[in-house]
Amino acid sequence: MSSPLSRLAWNFRHNPKRELWFAWWMMDIFYQLYDVLFFFVTRVQPPASPAWSTPMVLQWFDTRHYGILAGFGVVFLISGLCAPMNALLAYSMRRMSVSRVFGYSYLIMYSLSAIPGMLVMAIAMTVGALRPDRNPEMIHWLFDFAFLSFSGTMGVFMIGSLVWLVAILIDKNGVFPKWFGYLGLCNALTEVVVAPAWIFQRGVFAWNGAIAWWINMVVFVTYTVCFIVLLRKMIEREDFGDGVLPDLPPKVERSQPDSVGAMR
Amino acid sequence: MTNLQESTEQAERKPARFVPGQPDMWVFVLFESLLFTGYFSVYLIGRIQNRDLYLHAQADLDLRFGIFNTIALLLSSWAIARCVQASREGAYRDALRDAFLTIGFGVAFLVSKVIEWTKEIRLGNTFTSNEFFQHFFFLTSIHLLHLLIGFIVMGVAVYQLWSPARRSQQLVETCATYWHTVDFLWVLIFALLYVVR
Repeated sequence: MSSPLSRLAWNFRHNPKRELWFAWWMMDIFYQLYDVLFFFVTRVQPPASPAWSTPMVLQWFDTRHYGILAGFGVVFLISGLCAPMNALLAYSMRRMSVSRVFGYSYLIMYSLSAIPGMLVMAIAMTVGALRPDRNPEMIHWLFDFAFLSFSGTMGVFMIGSLVWLVAILIDKNGVFPKWFGYLGLCNALTEVVVAPAWIFQRGVFAWNGAIAWWINMVVFVTYTVCFIVLLRKMIEREDFGDGVLPDLPPKVERSQPDSVGAMR
Repeated sequence: MTNLQESTEQAERKPARFVPGQPDMWVFVLFESLLFTGYFSVYLIGRIQNRDLYLHAQADLDLRFGIFNTIALLLSSWAIARCVQASREGAYRDALRDAFLTIGFGVAFLVSKVIEWTKEIRLGNTFTSNEFFQHFFFLTSIHLLHLLIGFIVMGVAVYQLWSPARRSQQLVETCATYWHTVDFLWVLIFALLYVVR
């Protein structure tokens, strides 16, 4: 009987899927950290109201001062984890029977979305929190800039979902189930709904509104959880060929010792 | 032995359980229904909180447009149902005619919706006028977006029906499922925005 550590070491040296699993785990860790950092450490999400006055914004920054500085410090540290995650998403499209254009365009779009959606927002928030004695109007300006930058990723996610949707629907290799493609359409349509946030400062269409943020976030989280699970299944099914991705063998057979499955 | 024979005969008589088209499309139907339930709930909560404003603003809507649009989409659903039926029977010319009829009713809806929007904007009721018209323009716009996607979906159905080399019954039924969803969502929007007072 081998210990879990020796199995891990064996897989690290010999498992042909080690790079794919590495990318998948990085994606998993990235999303877990992203949630904790944005919702619990910095507490910049859920978003504050765009209708707030300058004193309320100053108070908001004041109660989050250390959380924003420490949390976004870690965000900058882990932002590179986007790379293996995006690579795995593009890999899934390269494994399909579709043109490479799909994978490349998705890779570029999602890499770019990290700039306004995460890094610019984090810089603006950090600058706002860094010097509490700064001109209050300037801090309010940074508050608006940060949340608009975050919402500004909507177009990228919309087109990204549509690219993935088309790739899945025309793919003949069965890399992803068609229902996930249709779910991508739901996700793309909810991204459209963020557009009114550019007009409204209060109500359900503002950047913190029930429709523009809360319902959108529920759909996005569902979509994200689905693709994380489906990417895991894709790696399990991967045979490094270029034809139809084989289905997993029945569970009874899978319980047999299997060098590739040892890592699971 | 007799019981066994009877149960076998019953099983043979019982039609096989299936959903029309790809089962995957029904996941979309379910998810869209949940999503619109969310939008409708937000609308209804807003309405309860500000009943007078909603009632006053709602009076500016022309019910005739709502009724015409509902009839147009119900007829389009009827046409796509006939299209599926004809396609199942192998009558592809009839199926194509019905598919074009579906698109035609969809275009009638689209034109009527644009005229209605223009009329409301001329009356001074825009997306930013008040809470009711925010919801009105949002719900009708997001629904119209579904309709525009529906035209692409119907293009797929026509493409399938056009050539004997293709003609995937499953794809035609999947397209029909999508189109019925567009109709189904409109009926709910019509009831909430135009009828419920």
